[in-house]
Amino acid sequence: MAEVILQDVVKKYGTFKVVHEVNLNIAAGEFVVLVGPSGCGKSTTLRMIAGLENISAGTIRIGDKVVNDLPPKDRDIAMVFQNYALYQHMTVFDNLAFGLRNRKVPETEIRSEVTRATQMLGLEPLLARKPFQLSGGQQQRVALGRCIVRRPQVFLFDEPLSNLDAKLRAQMRIEIKALRERVPTTSVYVTHDQVEAMTLGDRVVVMKDGWIQQIGTPLQIYNRPANRFVASFIGAPAMNFIGVELVEELGVMSAHAKDFKVELSLDQAAVLRKHGAKTVTLGIRPEHVRLGTPTNNTGSSFTGVVNVTEQLGSELVIALNVGGSTIMASRISPETEVSPHARVQMWVDGKELQLFDDKTEIAIR
Amino acid sequence: MTARFTKFGFDEKERFMLFLIAPAAIVLACFEIIPILIGMNASFREWSLVNPQRTWVGPKQYIAVFTDPVFLKMVLPNTFVLTIVSVGVSLALGLALASLLNRPFFGRAVVRTIILLPLTIAPVITATMMRWSFNDQFGVITIFLSYLGLPDVAWLSDRWPSFALIIITDIWIWTPWFTIILLAAMQGLPPEPFEAARIDAATPWCIFRRVTLPMLRPVIIVCVLIRAIDAFRTFDQVWILTGGGPARSTEVFSVYAYVLAFVDLDIGRAAAAAGIGALIMLFVGVGLYRLVNRSMEVS
Amino acid sequence: MISFALHTLRRSIFAISIAAIFVVFVGPIAILGVTSIRPASGVFYIWRGTNFTLNNFVEVLHQSQVVQAMWNSFVLSTLATILSLSITIGSGYMLSRFGGWIQRSWFATIYIFRTVPYISWVLPLYLVNTRLGIYDTYVGLLLPHIAVHVCFFSWLMKGFFDGINPSMEYAALIDGCTRWGAFCRVALPAAMPGIAALAILCWLSTWNEFLFALILSGKRTPLITSTMAQFVTETGTEWNLMSATAVLAMMPALLVTIFGQKYVIRGLRM
Repeated sequence: MAEVILQDVVKKYGTFKVVHEVNLNIAAGEFVVLVGPSGCGKSTTLRMIAGLENISAGTIRIGDKVVNDLPPKDRDIAMVFQNYALYQHMTVFDNLAFGLRNRKVPETEIRSEVTRATQMLGLEPLLARKPFQLSGGQQQRVALGRCIVRRPQVFLFDEPLSNLDAKLRAQMRIEIKALRERVPTTSVYVTHDQVEAMTLGDRVVVMKDGWIQQIGTPLQIYNRPANRFVASFIGAPAMNFIGVELVEELGVMSAHAKDFKVELSLDQAAVLRKHGAKTVTLGIRPEHVRLGTPTNNTGSSFTGVVNVTEQLGSELVIALNVGGSTIMASRISPETEVSPHARVQMWVDGKELQLFDDKTEIAIR
Repeated sequence: MTARFTKFGFDEKERFMLFLIAPAAIVLACFEIIPILIGMNASFREWSLVNPQRTWVGPKQYIAVFTDPVFLKMVLPNTFVLTIVSVGVSLALGLALASLLNRPFFGRAVVRTIILLPLTIAPVITATMMRWSFNDQFGVITIFLSYLGLPDVAWLSDRWPSFALIIITDIWIWTPWFTIILLAAMQGLPPEPFEAARIDAATPWCIFRRVTLPMLRPVIIVCVLIRAIDAFRTFDQVWILTGGGPARSTEVFSVYAYVLAFVDLDIGRAAAAAGIGALIMLFVGVGLYRLVNRSMEVS
Repeated sequence: MISFALHTLRRSIFAISIAAIFVVFVGPIAILGVTSIRPASGVFYIWRGTNFTLNNFVEVLHQSQVVQAMWNSFVLSTLATILSLSITIGSGYMLSRFGGWIQRSWFATIYIFRTVPYISWVLPLYLVNTRLGIYDTYVGLLLPHIAVHVCFFSWLMKGFFDGINPSMEYAALIDGCTRWGAFCRVALPAAMPGIAALAILCWLSTWNEFLFALILSGKRTPLITSTMAQFVTETGTEWNLMSATAVLAMMPALLVTIFGQKYVIRGLRM
């Protein structure tokens, strides 16, 4: 186990910067997930740590070694690829042993390492097969095994689950999580799937257009998004955003939009007063939009017209039209009878709102 | 940062890249690029094979080629007609055959084997074969045509019949090539657009025009590019079938340069002719390449 | 009723087209085959008469030049295939896996020199070979035959490697291989089927190649295509012997077409 430190790491193709000054300290044994939409630079960052891409500027350290100029083989890392990248012409056993043989590990030791990994992953019956005889899930397990046998300083995962179907993906996610406990190793995991990011990461790094947007624990990212992009990217259904005007009456600040008015808490009012803007963007998680009348004294109610309802069995999701803008409400009891075009009363709690600057889109706190 | 660069100015990756291409580059340089340079040098000299004086004469040889009526009236038109007709007809026939074969039927494997034959047999043998089949007296095809009551054609004694025979041979060789590549491309197309077109009640011809052809366009363009470059330098068939005759009327550019060098033994002028051909090809090739790139971007 | 008639009509047209393909593509080869087993007197009007003989083949095989030419062509094709592929695999791999100015300039070089007509460099090559004293020798024939393959086969190899996902090689790099190790131990084995296909194409194209043979080979190292051409252009009347030689010369092509069809098609499709 070793720490991984990225200092002002930049990747340029020609004059085009795809990764901007990335600074990231990953503690030994920590599991960090890089998440973002495609083209955000997360894979490039991972490949720079792996040494598959040169870095244009900055330093990368693994443990106490600067690895900028080291080829991948000397960085003591292991990597799982999106398409598994198993050696098609080798058996599962040879696939697992390949890295150890390259490092001149004695054959008996290789055998015991491979056995350890195969037992852990349930691969024993498949050792003599070739990759094309395996299912997607089995191939991904072999790819994981290839990492485990090496006992490297760092595991790198490049969207390892995105080629699997939904059910298998959920299952493998749990396996990776379980594996973490048994083989604690510093890990960097790249995904575009927010569920993977939230469930697997000790810390999550949200990236967009080559910039790091926010680094934090899953809960920090979810509850205190640094900006509008992070807020919208994490969480499903996505956060609702409403442009509002701020009005102060008798010391109470409230946010107004068409057919919509929410009272803000005193703390929020203080922050907004300091910020000074007259209009801001309000972010409301769909699960915070509740049906009925407020059950506490910080709630504000409003009415909307039901556009569409989505029955998920465990919950009901409603898309409402509130003064021309759409607001999603989730976690409504599935037994609720709501008919389309009906006008319903909803409420939100001012304390649960997020506030973003209209122009910079940065959270106002 | 500077540690990554060595005194050669290449980083580790670039050195590996150079290492990979080095053998190919060396062979290419020694046996293609240097000869071409030598040829260019020779084209500015009076250089006869029997009496190699190698006097520098400037562009005289180029002027001689460009004022040679054989070159202007026979070689240039022949080369371009051969290229355009052969590529055009083989493409059309290849498309037709590929669509014909793009369905399961009894004996398809046999047909596919048969159309591979023209591609694997040497053009020299094919040309021999054609020459024999079209022999004016005993050729099977000549006799068959006269059975049908058609007038006798002295295939190899007049310009246009000889030239037609060259083109027929070329088409015979290259139609299968188009067929096989286009058939593979057709089989690789996704089935959904065809299903959608059938549901929209499109006729087979309409499906071919509006769905198959546009989807095959990139493949067709690359095929035509490769073929056009090769057709321009056709030599084997022409040399075996007619030797450029009768009276040099079927000479194409490669044959013309060959005759200058090894019949007239005038290396200087032959090099000039070859240089002109190379220049034409360079323009055509680069032009076509641009065209290909642009059409690839569009599609 | 009408639709039934239309269906029948369609089917007959289809059957006729398939028959036409047979006649057009097998016909000339069959004529050549029949001619090769006819005695000299029976060559004309080959479908009449029932005299068949293998004497033509015996006679052809007694001509030392034909046997020598076939042997030379065989050796040359085999060596040229091995050497051309070993130098173009690396070149194609580089073109497929890397970017940057080196890759772009090499690609441009290959493209440009592929468009250069063969005659433009075989002519001066004749001068080079005579000057170096390798005219009409194995070496003098082999090296140009390798050079002729550099451009085209690098291009084919690139296309072939483009179809193989590079992440296997990345995995190998991380698993402790150098770039060279990843290329040899992972990319090459994965590319083997394609390389086999290209090897067949390369062998055949050297065997079939004519212009180089005509200009760069002579009496000492005759090749099969140039020997055939000599028959056709110089004697030109002994069609039975010529056909027998041609049938012998097309044997590799026939064998490959029948037994290696899969590879030929794969090679052509790249």
